[in-house]
Parts: sequence; C-alpha cells; structure tokens
Amino acid sequence: MDVADVMQEIADQLDTIDGLRPYGWAAESVTVPGAVVGYPEITFDATYGRGMDRWDLPVWAVVAKASNRGAREQMSKFASGGGISTFKQVLEAGSYTSLDVLRAATATPDQITIGTSDYLAYRFDLEIAGQGSA
Amino acid sequence: MAFVHAKDTFISLDANDLSSFTNTSELSRTADSHDVTTYGKDSHVFSGGLLNGNASMGGIYDSTTSGPRDVIEPLIGTVVELIRRPEGTGSGLPEDAVNVLVTNYTETNAVASMVQWRADLQLSDDVTSTDQT
Repeated sequence: MDVADVMQEIADQLDTIDGLRPYGWAAESVTVPGAVVGYPEITFDATYGRGMDRWDLPVWAVVAKASNRGAREQMSKFASGGGISTFKQVLEAGSYTSLDVLRAATATPDQITIGTSDYLAYRFDLEIAGQGSA
Repeated sequence: MAFVHAKDTFISLDANDLSSFTNTSELSRTADSHDVTTYGKDSHVFSGGLLNGNASMGGIYDSTTSGPRDVIEPLIGTVVELIRRPEGTGSGLPEDAVNVLVTNYTETNAVASMVQWRADLQLSDDVTSTDQT
C-alpha cells in the first residue's frame, strides 16, 4: 500500500458527503465542516513474504467551534453509526484500489485548534489492511 | 549464532504459494518408540520405530482464486506436496518437502477481526530436508 494513494482515496471517498470539505493531507487551515486524513501507524509483515501490512489511520471530522450551539447537530451527521453522511457508513462503503480492507473501528471526541479558536472534532480510527510490498 | 525472523517463511501446498496469506505454520516430526527393556535393567530402554508427523498453517483469508479457500478446500482428504522454507527462499537455506494428507480446513469469522483460516496436515511418507540451490 502506498501512503499517499491511500490517504487520497480516503479523502476522495469523504468528498462524496454533501457539504464536507476533505483534506487528504495534514492541512494547516481547514474550512469547516471539514475532514482531515492523518498519517497511518504501519505494522509491517502481517503475513509471510510481505503479503500483508496493517495500518491504523486517523481521520478527523471538524465542525463548528466547540461553543457553537449547532456544533452538536453538525457533528451528529458525521459521527453517528448510520446515515448517508456518517463517516462510518461512507468510508466502509467505498470501493478502493489502494487498499483491501477498511473498517472505521472507533470514533473519539476531540478538539482541534484552527487559528486561535477551538473546533469540535471527532477522531475516527480506521483499521486498514492491504498488500505489503505492492 | 544467528537468529532468524519468521516473516520470510515460504510455504506452498500442491505447488500453490500460500505465503502471502499465511502468518503461522508448524512442522512437527515424531517417531514411534518401542520399549525393549529386558531383565537386569534399572531403567526403561527404548528403540525408535516408524517416523510420523503433522503440520499446520494458518493466516488471513483472501477472496481471490489463489487464496486459501479456493486452494485448500478442494484438497481436503487428498495427499499433496507441502514445501516449507523456514528461513525463506535463497541458495543454501533449508527446505522441507513432504507429502501431506489435508485433514482439516477451518475458517474463523470473529466480528472485530479479519477472516482467518487454518489447515491441519498429516505427514505421509518421508520428509525430504535439503538446502536450496
């Protein structure tokens, strides 16, 4: 699996969510509501002969400022377990060429500072498996 | 002294390279023992008999036609050749080749995990242990 290819494909899949602005890199400035694809933690050699690698890759959903009353409703669209805009459903429904398996395993509330303001975020931890040497 | 990591292990069954779907394997060899103790001895005495053994392999399920389900399931109950290179592929590295009876193929689907598979093999006839050329 190629790090750049996987990060971009995930961003492309998130781009299918109406109104969401995804970033396939660790963007310094984010237009909200946005999604930022992080770099993976890679475990090599899940099978013999470089057959399979396993990654843990974070993706952040970033919505309004944490103090914004509407932040909860905005984040609910992305962080809930099911629904056409939820990261869980959208990411696992994707058809990918850069990886074999993707599972949104956990979602943890977080806070991200953009400029001088704190924004409500959720960190999604994706379990990814795919070809090791290819 | 040189330690060896298992990640480069090569394993094939019926000429199908299953290495990239496998993350564990074992080759176990045993021998019958015959008690030949006679009078006058204070301890048991044994002689070796027929050799025997079994092997196992397992790993992560793959959905392609070269994956473990399509390769191994049709072999259940048949005798095919197992080749295992515990230090990987390379000139001078060890290789074991033996016919095996495929006695078991199991798939395991745990909800929060990759689909996994396992096969159990009964050794049939001698093991040929050589160094690769």
